[in-house]
Amino acid sequence: MAVLAGIYAASHGPLIVRNWDQVTPAHREVLNAGFSDLGRRIRSDRLDALVIISPDHWVNFFLDNLPSICVGVGAWHEGPNEPWLTGRFPHRQLAGHPALAGHIVETALQNGFEPSISHRLILDHGFCIPLLKAGVEPLPPIVPVIFNDIEPPFPSVRRCYEWGRMLRRAIESWPHDLRIGVLGSGGLSHSIGEPTMGRIEEDFDRECLSHFAGNSPEVLIDYLTRTLPTVGNGASEIRNWVAAHGVAGGKGFSLIAYGAIPEVFVGCGFACWTP
Amino acid sequence: MLVRDYELSRLFFDLQTPACAEEYRAGRQAVLDRYRLEPAVRTAVEHDDVAFLASRVNPYLLRFYFFVAGMPDAEFIRHLRDADEGGKG
Repeated sequence: MAVLAGIYAASHGPLIVRNWDQVTPAHREVLNAGFSDLGRRIRSDRLDALVIISPDHWVNFFLDNLPSICVGVGAWHEGPNEPWLTGRFPHRQLAGHPALAGHIVETALQNGFEPSISHRLILDHGFCIPLLKAGVEPLPPIVPVIFNDIEPPFPSVRRCYEWGRMLRRAIESWPHDLRIGVLGSGGLSHSIGEPTMGRIEEDFDRECLSHFAGNSPEVLIDYLTRTLPTVGNGASEIRNWVAAHGVAGGKGFSLIAYGAIPEVFVGCGFACWTP
Repeated sequence: MLVRDYELSRLFFDLQTPACAEEYRAGRQAVLDRYRLEPAVRTAVEHDDVAFLASRVNPYLLRFYFFVAGMPDAEFIRHLRDADEGGKG
């Protein structure tokens, strides 16, 4: 049977790559520590497959068709298409895991979810910056799960948590000897293309992290349901951390690093859970 | 449900294609001619009117567009904040 070998979360943001030269040494230290620790954990967990939950930053989907949740079921996925990342990220293609992805979709359908599927996704910076900066090489096969965190209406926080619980059931019922990890990518607070652009809401981030570390998923869900509409739009990506929290059963959270990094416009967090 | 300007959003989305972005930077008019933009919207695009465009597209697409159009982040943010202050006035 498959083993849930690791559960992780990390922030992403284009400026972590594009503006790296402008990041102060102290802030580089925070980011390097977070990504390095994440990479060390992923390597030591010897993953055979990694499920990554991340938003789509208008790369695959447009107003014509905006799924709330989409699972990449292809044999391979395209690497990032952002010009500032293509020269730095070493993979033009990333292996997928169609059988595991299909099992996740089937399990979802049997448990009250109706995700869309894609046989060919582009994995943008949300997927690839954590892999790049954490030095995850060689890459395990990736099962991408896209949550719509970008364009309202969004899936509810509770639904994201329940998706995580379902994902755990899917992994644990996969009848093959695989070591599987789950990574939630995004957040914490940031604001893009709004009057508050560049603002990092450190108080919100720290309270949010304290709720992840607490022992009540209900308190976390309630807090985020109330506060996400009141903070910068990028914080919506915390839904991906909530899904990871659901995979972990709402417990076992451990903060690796946090820093409000104004040079990259993001409250950057790194975390893992006891599987 | 938010109201979105589909044609404007489509323009911003399509400019993610490097060839399209290059063509746009070389001369906006030929690219703009391919989209059925309302006259006021086209004028706003031609004049980099951040405040006008901000109300019509997703903020991520807006930010991406002005990055492609060559507006520095600091200037973009200043326009966003000026528009917000104006709206409150």
